[in-house]
Amino acid sequence: MEPLTLVESVLDNLPVAVFAKDANDDFRFVLWNKKQEQITTVKASKAVGRDDYDLFSEESADYFRSVDKAVLKRGKLLEVPEEIIEGKDGQDIHLRTVKIPVIEEETGRRLVVGISEDITEQVQSRAKLESLNKNLLETNQELQETQLQLIQAEKLESIGRLAAGVAHEVKNPLALLLLGVDYLSGGIDPADPNVETILTQMREAVDRADRIVRGLVDFSSQRALTREPVQLHAVIDEVLLLVKHELTRSNTKVSVSIPADLPHVFLDLSKFEQVVINLVINAVHAMSESKSPRLEIMARAEKLSDVIKNQGARKYEVFRSGDNVVTLELIDNGCGIDSGDASRLFDPFFTTKATGVGTGLGLSVARKIVQLHGGELHVSDRPDKKGAIAKLILPTKVDTGKVALTSNFPK
Amino acid sequence: MARKILLVDDEAGFTQLLKMNLEKSGDFEVTIENDSTKAIATARSFQPDVVLLDVVMPGMDGGDVQAQFQSDSILNRVPVIMLTALVDSAELSAGAVAQSGSSIVLPKPVDLSLLLRVIDEATGAA
Ligand SMILES: Nc1ncnc2c1ncn2[C@@H]1O[C@H](COP(=O)(O)OP(=O)(O)OP(=O)(O)O)[C@@H](O)[C@H]1O
Ligand SMILES: [Mg+2]
Repeated sequence: MEPLTLVESVLDNLPVAVFAKDANDDFRFVLWNKKQEQITTVKASKAVGRDDYDLFSEESADYFRSVDKAVLKRGKLLEVPEEIIEGKDGQDIHLRTVKIPVIEEETGRRLVVGISEDITEQVQSRAKLESLNKNLLETNQELQETQLQLIQAEKLESIGRLAAGVAHEVKNPLALLLLGVDYLSGGIDPADPNVETILTQMREAVDRADRIVRGLVDFSSQRALTREPVQLHAVIDEVLLLVKHELTRSNTKVSVSIPADLPHVFLDLSKFEQVVINLVINAVHAMSESKSPRLEIMARAEKLSDVIKNQGARKYEVFRSGDNVVTLELIDNGCGIDSGDASRLFDPFFTTKATGVGTGLGLSVARKIVQLHGGELHVSDRPDKKGAIAKLILPTKVDTGKVALTSNFPK
Repeated sequence: MARKILLVDDEAGFTQLLKMNLEKSGDFEVTIENDSTKAIATARSFQPDVVLLDVVMPGMDGGDVQAQFQSDSILNRVPVIMLTALVDSAELSAGAVAQSGSSIVLPKPVDLSLLLRVIDEATGAA
């Protein structure tokens, strides 16, 4: 074993590279430890007594020299978070370097001492992580697009099922229009008091047919999620128009109670209608055996307490106690939810209905849509076991006035 | 003597205009019932010669109402004309007349001259 001074042996066993240059001797190296040998693949015996221009490319040497001078000028430590030197096979070696100006006690020489840590691996794994993260973002983006496609597919399916009912609702105003035309085509007697009634009725019929058809067209439009401040009442009215036939045929009584001063909610109208349509149709199906089917639709502004009432000790998924929200409840008096099914209601393709009646996508898609709105959807048995209750919790903005102003909602 | 027609349909505007048209087109006395659950009671007191019945109605649908008429010893002789906007009846192209059990089925929107002809036939006035 070669005898070394304590300082020499410490220096050579450090996991970081250490070197020193003499500023009074054209920045020639006076110190070059083992780690520095490994990183640069230049032996100390070759390096000491030479300068950066002897050992590195001119470009690199220029850079090192300028940093060295800056360190001396500042008279303070300088950290270079990342610098790159060329390794043996032309690979980049990334270093984190600290340069310190030192005046040697014994000799009075002005030295620049450098300590470099090889951070190549860290940099590489960081790059790897970044590319992984990029992939993840892309995958996530794709997933979101797929979700939107799924939502649209489910919507098309419900449009298909609603179409016959909607057509029926349009035919009624058409029937009225034809009667009006028949009456008036016989010649108009200005003294006939019926004429005014007929014209009024005809105008209303056109409005009604137009509303229904427009509602269907709006509903079927495929757009990315676009949220606007919406009055919940407007959503419910639109939905009830689209499902009117289903409600009439099933003899379902609907009562809506929504306070007029309910805060706006930020919704994608068409996607949210899809949610409510699903919930209404689910209720209608569940009440097919009920003597007098009744659907209550209730909304209110609420400050959340800890626990969803009637749901045991379940905590909210995205909300916290104290949050201001708008809740929307659809309460039916149907068959209720079989306790064995409760945990599976939201599973895609879980259905208790015959093929052609249900595909089991309704609730899973509805929940997805509600989650995209930053809300929650729960379906459970009524506490009195007389049916089921679907509860939506939606975030509100405290300052609704501001919301309405900052958003340019298309009308 | 004026023939008596009972209109049973939940669409108030439609029944109102149909009544005006019928009364303008012939010697008819028309009564409207927009609540199908009251159709039988109204019919008992009105004693119509013919009933025009909508198929899809809240409360009781056209089929239920018709069944009530069938089990009434007097009303079961009254001809029933069903009007339907159901798309399922698409086979029933405009102008077509179909027979369903003891009743005649017409598509909605209804062609007035066709309806008048069917009423004439049903009441034996043709
Ligand atoms: N209001 C309710 N009352 C009782 N059971 C319900 C209610 N809503 C949903 N369910 C149950 O949850 C199941 C899943 O509902 P979901 O809406 O996901 O599918 P679906 O209605 O069967 O079919 P789809 O909505 O795709 O036409 C239903 O089949 C039914 O058994
Ligand atoms: Mg469903």
